Amino acid sequence: MLIHDLFLPLPLVVLPTGTMLLLLSITWHRSATRSFSLALLTLLLTLAFTHHRLTTFLHGGTTFFTEDLWADYTAALILLSSLCILGLSWRNIARDTDQPPDEYPLLLLLGTLGAVTMVFSTNYMSFFLGLEILSLSLTGLVAFRHHHIPAASEAAMKYLILSGFSSAILLFGIGLAYTATGSLHFAPPDPANNAIPGLPLAATIMILTGIFFKLSAVPFHMWMPDVMEGASVPVAAFIAIVPKIAVFSALIRYFGTGDLPPFLHGTLSAIIILTILGGNLLALRQTNLTRLLACSSIAHVGYLLMAFYSPGLIQSGAVAIYLIAYTTATLGAFAVISALATQEGTDGTNIADWKGQFTKHPLLASAMSLMLLSLAGIPPGIGFFAKFEIAATGVEHQRNLLLAVLVTGSIIGLYYYLNIIRVMLSPASFSSQTDNRRNNPELTALVFVLAIIVVVGGIFPAWLIRPVLPASASVNTAPPPDTTQETDSRTLPP
Amino acid sequence: MTPLPALVLLPVLGGAIAWLADRSRTRPEQPPPVAWLITLITLILETALLLAETFRQSPDPGPWLDHFSRPWIPPLGIDVRLDMDGLSLSLLWLTLILSLPCVLLATRQIRTRPGLFHFLFLATISGVTGTFLATDLFLFFFFWELMLVPMFVLILIWGHEDRHRAAMKFFLFTQGSGLLLLLSILGLAITHFRETGFLTFNYFTLAATPLSPALSMVLMLGFFIPFAVKLPVIPVHVWLPDAHTQAPTAASVLLAGILLKTGGYGMIRFNIMLFPEAAAHFAPVALSLGVAGILYGAWMSCQQNDIKRLIAYSSISHLGFVLTGIFSGSQAGMQGAIIQMLAHGLSTGALFLIAGSLQDRMHTRDMTRIGGLWATMPRLSGAGVFFAVASLGMPGLGNFAGEFLVLFATWRVSPPLAILAATGLVLAAIYALKLVNGIFLAPAAPAPSPTKDVPTPQIAILGSLMIFLVILGLYPRPFIAASAPSPPSVVTGKGEPNHAHP
Repeated sequence: MLIHDLFLPLPLVVLPTGTMLLLLSITWHRSATRSFSLALLTLLLTLAFTHHRLTTFLHGGTTFFTEDLWADYTAALILLSSLCILGLSWRNIARDTDQPPDEYPLLLLLGTLGAVTMVFSTNYMSFFLGLEILSLSLTGLVAFRHHHIPAASEAAMKYLILSGFSSAILLFGIGLAYTATGSLHFAPPDPANNAIPGLPLAATIMILTGIFFKLSAVPFHMWMPDVMEGASVPVAAFIAIVPKIAVFSALIRYFGTGDLPPFLHGTLSAIIILTILGGNLLALRQTNLTRLLACSSIAHVGYLLMAFYSPGLIQSGAVAIYLIAYTTATLGAFAVISALATQEGTDGTNIADWKGQFTKHPLLASAMSLMLLSLAGIPPGIGFFAKFEIAATGVEHQRNLLLAVLVTGSIIGLYYYLNIIRVMLSPASFSSQTDNRRNNPELTALVFVLAIIVVVGGIFPAWLIRPVLPASASVNTAPPPDTTQETDSRTLPP
Repeated sequence: MTPLPALVLLPVLGGAIAWLADRSRTRPEQPPPVAWLITLITLILETALLLAETFRQSPDPGPWLDHFSRPWIPPLGIDVRLDMDGLSLSLLWLTLILSLPCVLLATRQIRTRPGLFHFLFLATISGVTGTFLATDLFLFFFFWELMLVPMFVLILIWGHEDRHRAAMKFFLFTQGSGLLLLLSILGLAITHFRETGFLTFNYFTLAATPLSPALSMVLMLGFFIPFAVKLPVIPVHVWLPDAHTQAPTAASVLLAGILLKTGGYGMIRFNIMLFPEAAAHFAPVALSLGVAGILYGAWMSCQQNDIKRLIAYSSISHLGFVLTGIFSGSQAGMQGAIIQMLAHGLSTGALFLIAGSLQDRMHTRDMTRIGGLWATMPRLSGAGVFFAVASLGMPGLGNFAGEFLVLFATWRVSPPLAILAATGLVLAAIYALKLVNGIFLAPAAPAPSPTKDVPTPQIAILGSLMIFLVILGLYPRPFIAASAPSPPSVVTGKGEPNHAHP
């Protein structure tokens, strides 16, 4: 093994080390607080080392990992989201007295490790390893719910089976790609110079299918609402955000930012249309807030894929800002749900229970409305600008059909987001008992910070538009600016 | 230092202060509520600013009165760019002239969360002001969308019995059609980018984009549809009667008086000015839609028993004249449309104020249950009759001047359409007189009549609106001259408007 095979971005050193330490500390003495602090510390350290690497990167060699602005950017987003989710789950961890839930922070760290591995990988092997680490720890996380064991186990089983199925397809695709090219480099096999012309094509399609499964693009989306509903609220937030960012990052890494292979155009358009319309139409009928956010996240994947499908001048900024917009608004919505969860019984995900929240908790309800409006793409939220950019990529390529779908989907989306606001504004029914909400200032603070990011990002989006995408081979223009460290810290306010 | 950004920001900042002040008060207070006072002060300050702006020496010769520009999102060539011409100035005055009576007459008795109400009210005014001033297309779209949210919440919380449906309908129609506007703006900007190689959303630069006739038509339609929804033009008017009827009084006045005018403003500023040829090709369709709107609105208005619904449908009819005038292709028609927009804002706004105060007193909007108010409330009835008569197009009042100019311009294009439009005036007489008869003159109805008339100061406020209408009707010439829209084509060779260098 050559030395450049060992090229390692520092996050991939810090994160596993932290995980090992956490494992050791659990074997030594079980304590929820200590595990939580260790996980927190590890995530913070990893975030601090996001832009650093262990050895110098050699271009041209076969390596497992790479490190560029795109990887740093998505890794930082993943780490920040994991941090927020750890904060969301803190109360649940601390309250669970019958059984110290040390495994929860451990699984969360492992899931994050898997996602970060995917982001940095340039090799089928490392990519698949990351994906599997993420999927397996997610199964554990979903089932991690002492008080709702049947529902949680059902969701976890569903996820395990479907995730295994899609991994199998993906692995088969990878095998075919290896047969076609003889290399494990993470790039689509070229159908032009190959003995068996069908082979690279089949490989690409299968790999793409596996990726779409993980991204929950329609028609591979069925697991998403069920699994999110079965999981606890913080885990649902994790499923909605972290795997999506990681898989999307890998998707861009795989195909690059140049023009896509022509045989994919038709398939991709069909998938985008189905995903946007399917996600939005499904969301229309939901009465459970988690399920609704799951469906809306399907639709948002459709919008993101639209940016992926339209390489060009605007694409980089659009992807960068859309990822931030989606992450902050979704996290914010889940943070409000957690903050409003009542002491006993339901976790407050039934939409009908949200009646009268504006009178009971005006600030949190306003924050929730802001998040939902941002998801719907209405100013002054950051989602407005994000949708503007997505539409710009479509207009740049004159994808008229997709734009029509975007408009239709947005109008449908507007309806169900507004419907939640309408419910929150309507007077509370008399049956709802007095407010027995837990007082959790840290969640309120988190909601507040996210709301500020959403508004400030919406009004001054200029500093979020950065060339974060890897430069494509065909349009190999100027390398990313050297001020990346500064860019990164400004792009992601902690 | 130009006051244009201050004009946009002042209302929303004042609203935020009003909200905070209202939140920080400790006990229920005697009226007038503190939020109301702050709102009033904000609007007076805004009026002072606008006065200063009106009499300020224009920094450079040319039709554009004032200019402000700062970079906003440089990677995409988006600026905070505000420009004012006569059209924006007159619509800004209309906004203020209507919102002051609104605050004085209608918002004082808001009891549930007055702070939030006034914040949303002022935020809407900020959005409208921004829409009238923005000359960066992205900024225009930003304001266009921004003003919907506060209006949606206003209808949703303080509206009448069927407010939820009305608010959703309003938002879905206007925001959904707004997405078409977004696509057209992007289409225009990206076409310009392809031609010249630099990305900008500057109105003046984009006006010079060479477009093929087909593309120009598509983009023109993309701009037309959202404005048509807002104006409203008949196939897409269905949100209007519900929203106007269900909104609280102040929001109804804002909706009918000002928000609808953003549609007309957009058509003049963008459809006619950016795509003159395509607009001329499209004119026959637009004229027919306008005349159809005049007749349909008037006909539906005659069928209504709900006071606010009757006024709402009459708005559709009046704004049909605006659409017809804008697309008549002549100077006279454009002038008529602008005068009609101003006069309709004043007369309909006042009618909604009167309907609101009637509803506050009688707790019903059903004309069959109200009657004979002339005996008990002579002053309010007198004002009501005046504005109803103004609405039917009585010569000597502003609406007549506008409608006459529009009919005159339409006659030169197509006499049959002009005759049909004139028929709308007959129907207008029917519904206006039905309103007058039903409420003020008919024998006393079962609903308990209030014993007290409105106090003199309130009538004085309505009286000032009457004076504006009379001046607009008797001597419209200075208004016509002052409110003319300026063309964007004052462009020098470098693609920058020559007034952009103060």
